[in-house]
Amino acid sequence: MTWEIFNDSMPELLVAAIGTLRMTAFAFLLAATLGLTLAFLRLAGGLAGRLALLYIEIVRGMPALTLLFLIYFGLVPAGIVLNSFLAAVVALGLNGAAYLAEVYRAGIQAVDSGQREAAQMLGLRRPQIMRDVILPQAVPIVLPPMGNYLVSLLKDTSIASLISAPELMLRSRDLAGTYYLPMEYYLLAGAMYLVMAWPMMYGARRLERHFARGRLQGGRT
Amino acid sequence: MSAWLTVGHLLPVLLLGAVTTLEVTAGSFVVATLIGLVLAILQRLDWRPLRVVIAIYVDVFRAIPVLTQLFIIYFGLTEIGIRLDPVPAAIVGFGINGGAYLTEVFRSGIGAVHQGQLEAAQMLGMTRLAALRIVILPQAMRVVLPPLGNFAIGLLKDTALASAVAAPELMFRARTLVDQTFLATQIFVTAAAIYLAMSLPLGFLTRRAEAHLSRGRR
Repeated sequence: MTWEIFNDSMPELLVAAIGTLRMTAFAFLLAATLGLTLAFLRLAGGLAGRLALLYIEIVRGMPALTLLFLIYFGLVPAGIVLNSFLAAVVALGLNGAAYLAEVYRAGIQAVDSGQREAAQMLGLRRPQIMRDVILPQAVPIVLPPMGNYLVSLLKDTSIASLISAPELMLRSRDLAGTYYLPMEYYLLAGAMYLVMAWPMMYGARRLERHFARGRLQGGRT
Repeated sequence: MSAWLTVGHLLPVLLLGAVTTLEVTAGSFVVATLIGLVLAILQRLDWRPLRVVIAIYVDVFRAIPVLTQLFIIYFGLTEIGIRLDPVPAAIVGFGINGGAYLTEVFRSGIGAVHQGQLEAAQMLGMTRLAALRIVILPQAMRVVLPPLGNFAIGLLKDTALASAVAAPELMFRARTLVDQTFLATQIFVTAAAIYLAMSLPLGFLTRRAEAHLSRGRR
């Protein structure tokens, strides 16, 4: 009998899971681009660099849930009313940007300074050095932590259910409440997160191993 | 402006919540550390079934949102007659979830200690357990401490999710007060500031301990 209910609610849950993936994708894009901007500002130093650091420290010091509530409920008195999906994307994106900014900065700084000096000697201009010399070498360093971030972002989208954004956890809660089968529906939701997260975890691990191997070989030759 | 003054009056309620936040954090940290340490050690025994079970635990619990795990423990278990209060449920949930992360952390920490250390200790007549306790673990701490510190900070922030199972921690108090006063901006900003006031010193301590442990090493 329980299984019939499951069959009936499966399409709903799958639609919700797509909502989860969409939210993950949009928040990831926002976090990746804003994070790169913040990393450049930090590396540039000066007032902008200090402001970027302040942003990073503040956002990393508070729960994503607090940021989410601040954006969804806290901006309303200021006349800014976002729908729950957009608020979740913005909050998770702003939160992730602070994290990824540090990842990017570490990646850029990990590129040997001789590379920059050599490029300068060749007469490349600063933007060219960044784009053609530094960034391509920072990518292998940055990709594995970005993969891990993507996995944790996928899971973090579940907090958007607390502002009723349409995603997997919200739908599971609705269904669990409707049929009073919390154990079944939450386990089912957990299994669906597993199915989404495992390929990402596997990919992140592959990336890590791939680039670790490349570096070792580079060291030997 | 008067809205901020009202928040001043509400501050004791929020601080009371912050105490619960710290309790949940500390309780979960202890549970997670114990699970992580024990499983990392058990993983080193040459018994394949046990290793497989631990690997499955680690991969499953790291792939499911902690909010889902909290709901399974708090709401799901009532179906089979296990009814936990919000705070114990949160401690169990975050503890089991964190245990999966810390198993990996301790595993790599123990793995980073040179094999010769164990062999030398055994040559000196130590049992495996004594060698682990006296020789391996103290050296593993150096590797383990930075991720352990980061885990503690992440945990402190994650406990905000316990508000979803009505544990009376900081975020729950903040949400309740917002429902009563409609001062969403002021109350959530204050809550964020309290989280910062707790997490920044924790980050500072972690970096200090890291610097202390890595002295004399390159």
